[in-house]
Amino acid sequence: MAPAVLLVVAFLLAPFVWTIYRSFFSDSRTSPFSWFDNYSRFASDPALTRSVQNTLMWVVGTVLLPFVLGLAIACMTNATRWSRAARLCVVLPYALSGAAVAVVWNFMLTTDGAVNQVLTNLHLGSLAHGWLLTWPGNTIVMILANAWQATGVAVILFLVGLQSIPPETLEAGALDGAGSWQQFRHIVLPQLRPVSIIVIGMSLVNGLKSFDLIWVLTQGGPGRATETLAVSMYNETFLELRPGVGAAIAVVLTVIVLAASWLYLRRQLDVKGE
Amino acid sequence: MSASGRTRRAAAPLARRSFLAGTAAAAAALALQGCARGESTSAQPGTTSLSNDNATWDEGYRSAGRALKAITGSALRPLSNPSVTSYQQVVQMTLQTSKASDLVKWASGYQLKRLARTDGLTDLTGVWDRYVSKGWVRDASRDAASYRGKVYGIPLYESYYVLFYSKPVFAKLGLSAPGSWAELLHCAEVLKRNGITPFLASQVGGWPAIEWFQELVTKVDPRFYQKLVTGQASYTDAPARRAMDIWQDFMRKGWMTSPDFDQARGPGALKSGTVGMFLHGTWQAQGMTAVGMKPGVDYGACILPTVQPSTPKSVIAESGVFVVPRRASSHGAAMANVGAWLDPSVQRVWSDFLQDSSANPTVRSGNPVVAQLQQDIAREHRIPLIRYWEASPPSLIQGNTDDLGGFMAGQTSPATTLRRMQERARDEWAAWRRDEA
Repeated sequence: MAPAVLLVVAFLLAPFVWTIYRSFFSDSRTSPFSWFDNYSRFASDPALTRSVQNTLMWVVGTVLLPFVLGLAIACMTNATRWSRAARLCVVLPYALSGAAVAVVWNFMLTTDGAVNQVLTNLHLGSLAHGWLLTWPGNTIVMILANAWQATGVAVILFLVGLQSIPPETLEAGALDGAGSWQQFRHIVLPQLRPVSIIVIGMSLVNGLKSFDLIWVLTQGGPGRATETLAVSMYNETFLELRPGVGAAIAVVLTVIVLAASWLYLRRQLDVKGE
Repeated sequence: MSASGRTRRAAAPLARRSFLAGTAAAAAALALQGCARGESTSAQPGTTSLSNDNATWDEGYRSAGRALKAITGSALRPLSNPSVTSYQQVVQMTLQTSKASDLVKWASGYQLKRLARTDGLTDLTGVWDRYVSKGWVRDASRDAASYRGKVYGIPLYESYYVLFYSKPVFAKLGLSAPGSWAELLHCAEVLKRNGITPFLASQVGGWPAIEWFQELVTKVDPRFYQKLVTGQASYTDAPARRAMDIWQDFMRKGWMTSPDFDQARGPGALKSGTVGMFLHGTWQAQGMTAVGMKPGVDYGACILPTVQPSTPKSVIAESGVFVVPRRASSHGAAMANVGAWLDPSVQRVWSDFLQDSSANPTVRSGNPVVAQLQQDIAREHRIPLIRYWEASPPSLIQGNTDDLGGFMAGQTSPATTLRRMQERARDEWAAWRRDEA
């Protein structure tokens, strides 16, 4: 146990403590102690306000879409002849890195990209526009691109959950006259609860720390309009050269991730009695 | 059974511990080796290491290095990190170590001043003065390579911001290189009428958003630009507003590519005739060659005309520099190489590779288009202006570049964009001056 603890302390806790410490110092050359000045930028800097808005949108999108789509695809492909091929198609994007997914979607979403070309060819040119240029549309299309990739793992988890449901419970429900929807609502869904907790918990954390797709697609632009807190942290630290502000964003982001995960998992696991 | 069970239970943790200990030792050894940085930047006789953020230039450095070796006995050994952001972090961190690279490619102006004030660079004033006495460097660019009166950078190249245009397209439409603002507008109208986007404009990658801003402001009033970038004029003043209005007018007329057009595709777009003019540094000539375009045949270049005929003529110049870390592994060899870098025999090879103009004014570019530009700039006594990216404190430039990107995407009006830029300028200049004090 000791080596593991040492590694956690050296590579996780020590940098975290240092980051908290740094966040209380100014970014000027002499770096004086500046109390909560770096944190106050959340109230005064419109780019950070937008970043918080975007992060919330990402959390909602990355929790809802993979959950709903994953559950739907898993249910539809659980017991069909073509289920293996269908599942492969959905799961395959999950094997791709975020950067590779971003490159593919960049090819689709730029103003002269594939999506607008298809729309123009279908005489729907009026719908063609710069998908990555205007807020909030650019954030929404990136959330959709992320869902395209992230749904795969939700499908796998829900399939495992579906296959662990005892068939007798469904047969009993059918004998009692329950229809398909009632079986799903009252028999399948409650038994998928443990899997759902994991899918939502994972999506929640992924949404809060989303970075790679955004960075490759827009680098947080144009005009910092698509930044999430993770991107803002990088941008402030390495591009704007304000490591103190970057550290403050890192601390806030960490607190949000920890608090959200802890509240969610505690509530869910308590309900289950574990 | 219990005995064997105990044995198994006792053996398993031991094996796991041994495995963990072995792995930890191996990781520690690798980490120490990595920290020692024995391979890449340590002294290697006959070469000097060169940190570089443009991997496509490695071959050019090697060729120029062979010419350098004939003079100094040391060739160049490029170490490339093509991500500009991570490159900057790596350079700033390695400056603090005992095995910094021998030479580092860096930007001039305030980017250099910021690096120089870490006290990790060698004073190159003597080298600069020797170059000036031989006429191998323009002393006018001294300030862009200096911090607090001392020179810390030797120019790596000298590029100008120009309008590349497609000669076949212009010939087909009966157009010639615009020599006045009215001619520029005429070219744009004719190109647009023929289904060709007149100008390439982009904010992909961030920094390209500055290109049209700096170009239009300097062609409205170059003296104002000089005051603006040194904090003596306001972004909300009339010349800046005029430049932004022109820019917005061009965008509204559909004269510019969409802001998400990647300018890496610029040479290809010019060749295929989908874009008429491409505003960029002359170092892009290498990209034109890469797509098979011949200078003077397939493409030409001119400097954007001034908005009023009476406006003084100017040109935006960009010059990267070589710096020598104080703790360079082969400091003596590095000093010898920066001392010979601008030698015409070295610059001939380097300029031919780059297809661009040398920082040594006695070396004429091998690219006829760039050579003609060099000649015109000298003949017309154009005011050389430092590129916006290097012209003010880095934090100010980065923030303003973001704002210009937002403007290009239609998020903010000219007035709002300029107001934000001015607010940032006020804060960042105050911070810079406070730090300097």
